[in-house]
Amino acid sequence: MAVASIRNLTVQYGSFTALSNFSVEIPEGATGLLGPNGAGKTTLLKTLLGFISPVQGGGEVVGCDIVQSPREVRQRVGLMPEQDCHIPGMSAVQFVAYAGELAGMPSDQALRRAHEVLEYCGLGEARYRNVETYSTGMKQRIKLAQALVHGPKLLLLDEPTNGLDPAGREDMLNLVKSVSHGKGVNVLVSSHLLPDIERVCDRVIVVLQGQLRAQGTIKDLKRIEGHPIDVELKEPSERFGSALEALGGKLLSQSSHWYRVQAPGTPTDAGKLALNAARQAGAQVRGFQVAERSLEEAFLEAVS
Amino acid sequence: MASSPILDLSYRNYDGPLEAPAARWWAIAKMTMRLGVKKRGFWLWAVLSGYWYLVLMAVFYFTEVFLPTPQQAEQFFARIVWKDQFLNAFSIGQLVYFIIALLIGIGTIANDNRANALLIYLSKPCTKLDYIIGKWLGIFVPLTLVVAGPTLLFYLYGVLSYRHYGFLSQDPWLIVRLLFMCTIPGIFHASLALGISSFFNQGRMAGATYSGVYFLGLFFTKAMQVIHTVSAINGAASPKIVETLYYFAPDGLQIAMAKIILGTDGSPLFPGLGGPRGRLPNPIHAPNAALFALLFFGICAMFVLIAWRRVRAVEVVG
Repeated sequence: MAVASIRNLTVQYGSFTALSNFSVEIPEGATGLLGPNGAGKTTLLKTLLGFISPVQGGGEVVGCDIVQSPREVRQRVGLMPEQDCHIPGMSAVQFVAYAGELAGMPSDQALRRAHEVLEYCGLGEARYRNVETYSTGMKQRIKLAQALVHGPKLLLLDEPTNGLDPAGREDMLNLVKSVSHGKGVNVLVSSHLLPDIERVCDRVIVVLQGQLRAQGTIKDLKRIEGHPIDVELKEPSERFGSALEALGGKLLSQSSHWYRVQAPGTPTDAGKLALNAARQAGAQVRGFQVAERSLEEAFLEAVS
Repeated sequence: MASSPILDLSYRNYDGPLEAPAARWWAIAKMTMRLGVKKRGFWLWAVLSGYWYLVLMAVFYFTEVFLPTPQQAEQFFARIVWKDQFLNAFSIGQLVYFIIALLIGIGTIANDNRANALLIYLSKPCTKLDYIIGKWLGIFVPLTLVVAGPTLLFYLYGVLSYRHYGFLSQDPWLIVRLLFMCTIPGIFHASLALGISSFFNQGRMAGATYSGVYFLGLFFTKAMQVIHTVSAINGAASPKIVETLYYFAPDGLQIAMAKIILGTDGSPLFPGLGGPRGRLPNPIHAPNAALFALLFFGICAMFVLIAWRRVRAVEVVG
């Protein structure tokens, strides 16, 4: 079931078309939003939140029409913005409780819930400190807490690991992964960091020049046509390649003792062929796996 | 012993009630008020705002008690125009109202600009209208209560103690007029503070600008008052333009509105007590009601409109 569904959306800023006849279904789970600068990611997020009225088309987010009911959309969606943002003069618990009240929670429930989400986001010990005294990592966490406080069905995360050190980044990714898997919260992560997307998301949407360029599961996007396999030999063998070609296979590339092999049929057939070739070449096979490209390669292909 | 934590700290969905996304301005107003009254300075100035009423109470009490004969007391109170006492206290309290507006109001949008707080507000089911109304009310309500508290207490004191000196009979509608008068500083300062605040990213800069405007206006008003007083001392009437220009300042506009609402020109602080050369100048006449009401509400609306234009829609990604 789709958590958001956009149909034939066209958004313009004056004469500039930011999104052109854009249609996409964002399924439940964790989805990454990828695209170079100016691709239209921002505009898509703004439109999902109901900030921008499209020139044409429309859609639903968590069951609410983005044009007719933007406030209902925002009540069911949480946004973790990229920039530092807080409400001055408040402690963390006040801030998060206030965010809950703004979303429509009764004040007593908002306060109780603020304590819960701050604890969950790892700010339990610092909840009574003024937010302005927080470090960058803590500010990222509190942005996540305020987005989560009202129990959104969809969480929009904009560069959630921005400005974090490696340990903080690891913690943040674990938090996002934990929220988005098995907790009933759907996540749309906009990020330029492909490893982050790969860690957290199951699916990606690639946007370029206001149009959808690719979408699907990360696994599908990384798959290489023809199902090649990567074979690891104990040590490099000159005869392995020729034996492989003699048996009808094809050596696509070699890197040290790793060989990328393509053969007709399924990956299992390719595996059998690689084993035979190794036997004939007198080489020892340490292992093999279905070859796949990196997400970066898949992304570059989609946007090229 | 069990090794599991006593409290489940994992994420759980919120399944409690959510109010319909309407009237979010009230949540914003409540929080603005809460943050405003949390400032210690607010309470100090709020208490100080009513000091003139204390002076009046003391003067009236001791006059009544210590004058040798009841006839002398009656003569004294016969000269008192009760609503003018409220007008005088209102005029004297202007500086305090301004300081309270600085404390609770001037940083309201500027500080939000600095902290990107609009991103939080507008990503929730709040509109720009909710934000502006909430912020405006967050300044208006405390300021109005600060003005109304001492005013209504003095009114109660007057009703209980000076009915026989015409406190009620002079103007039976005084209480209604007072209620309207008490809203003037709230309306004025809330509107100006929002408009000025929306230009800045620092509350201090907004405060400095507002102070500059206020004190420049105050200086101008006082200059007009001096011209008026000197003319009166010399036995001449001050030019009409001086009387009109006296009201062209933040204080002056509010005093003008108070005079219009109370229906009085005002009178010296203690009539008949004398002054330079044995007489005090007559107060400056109330201005043209229609013109100044239009000017007052026009200025307020203009500053709210400025805030409306300056509060921009949220940027989701930088």
